[in-house]
Amino acid sequence: MSAIELHDLRVVYRRKGEPERVALDGFSLESDGEMLALLGPNGAGKSTLMGVISQTIKPQSGRVIAPSSRAGLSMVFQTTALDVLLTVRENLHVSAALHGISRTEAAKRIDELAAELRIEDRLDEQVRHLSGGLARRADLARALVPHPSLLLLDEPTTGLDIDARRSFWDSMRRIREQLGMTVLLATHLIDEAERADRVAMMSEGRCVGLETPSSFRSSLGERVLRIHAQEREQLEHAMAWLESIGHQAVAIDHTLIVEHAAEIDLQACPVEGVSLTLAPPTLEDAYSVRTNTGALA
Amino acid sequence: MSGFGAMNALAKRELIRQTRQPSRVIASVATPLMLWVFIAGGFSNAMGDIAGGGARLTAYTIPGMASLTVMFASIFAAISLIQDRHDGVLRAALVSPAPKWSIAMSKIGAGSVIALIQAMIVLLALPLLGVALTPAAVLGSIGALACISVALIGIGLAMAWLVDSTQGFHGVMNALLMPMWLLSGAIFPVEDAAGWMRIIALANPLTWAHGAMRSSLGMSDAFHPLLAWGISVAFAVGGACLGIWAISRSQKTA
Repeated sequence: MSAIELHDLRVVYRRKGEPERVALDGFSLESDGEMLALLGPNGAGKSTLMGVISQTIKPQSGRVIAPSSRAGLSMVFQTTALDVLLTVRENLHVSAALHGISRTEAAKRIDELAAELRIEDRLDEQVRHLSGGLARRADLARALVPHPSLLLLDEPTTGLDIDARRSFWDSMRRIREQLGMTVLLATHLIDEAERADRVAMMSEGRCVGLETPSSFRSSLGERVLRIHAQEREQLEHAMAWLESIGHQAVAIDHTLIVEHAAEIDLQACPVEGVSLTLAPPTLEDAYSVRTNTGALA
Repeated sequence: MSGFGAMNALAKRELIRQTRQPSRVIASVATPLMLWVFIAGGFSNAMGDIAGGGARLTAYTIPGMASLTVMFASIFAAISLIQDRHDGVLRAALVSPAPKWSIAMSKIGAGSVIALIQAMIVLLALPLLGVALTPAAVLGSIGALACISVALIGIGLAMAWLVDSTQGFHGVMNALLMPMWLLSGAIFPVEDAAGWMRIIALANPLTWAHGAMRSSLGMSDAFHPLLAWGISVAFAVGGACLGIWAISRSQKTA
């Protein structure tokens, strides 16, 4: 059995005076012992999915098979869930008690985690005196104190600078190697999704692709062509040219993305004033291709 | 898991928070004391002995001021639920395997301890006004104030769960609690009030908690002690159940 199984989840928000909004629309997924990224823009349904798994949101239909009880599940939220008036150590003891861990065992785990996350010299400081990056690592320690078999990370690096983000992910990698848990990461950041073993691309509450990052990239061929233009007419012209040579493009704002483009002769492009780039595909390209209809907005 | 460990840890957290925010204690105690000075000082000579027990207004209003202190402390305790929700602390607790009643009971338990300590500071004025604080009087006062505190924190938690902003919460609680306190015999004897007001006051459980406290302090025999204590305890149990029920239905139905 997988660490987490989601079957055909459907969540529809109904609020007075507002139109119905489908947050999850038949979402299914299985994951075990890996880090799986849920990649999607704001409003794709990632946080709703996290809420359903953590049992704070009740779906209208579908089934969640998660760790046998919530004892095996822990979560890092978009903002830290620490009491700023308490010290880091006091916060971690509260987290341990919420998961039914004895004080002696908690003290041992806190010392181990603090060393691993490099916050051992800040354990007795109140959280309000910590920087954003340190508070984030302390918050990760809070979620890890119960040694969860399933860890949910809901956009955990929101608001962190580059160094703090790097430090957070370094810590996360070391901890995963030690504890070997399943991690579900909700993110809209491509570089964070690249760190995952597999990526589930989400759009409008649906899973539009579930593969490894390299599979997503290789599905676009060796090279993609990106055509950037300022004017809509130029893009329409470029689209027509691509169709004439047997290629389809998807449009993202002022850019066209063409997969399997290694063979295209760029010199033959009849549209003037556009920028043409032939490059290895990225996960972002794959996401654009999977979630766009191809039509110009 | 039983939930008692989680409840203790969360209650301890509330007590630590209190020691690190001394302004909360000052705000809770100073306002009732000021109100007492102005009301009792202003009306004492005009009103003479009241409540059939020969108590002066200065002494008579002290239990009411103690309950006002408890009321302010209870509001602070309930507001902390809104703050916890915004800080994420509450989300972490709700995602954990700790039973939800333990979250509510930690707020009620710790909030009541804080409220009682503050209220006892106010009650210490009684010996200076000629009312003896015997062990029975102290125990009775603590019991009655505990009933008020448990009930009000429970009601406050339910309100805090429904209202998502501290501004909205203040509005709702002021509209509900201030009339409740004013019509409870806190600053005038209910038995001497006009007929319609007396009826409303007798329907107010806070009136009976004040009656229980004054009866323990030997300041009034207007209420039958057994009935007063019975209603006070029922008020506490009802309030606590309301708070637990509100937090227990924390799972959102989309």
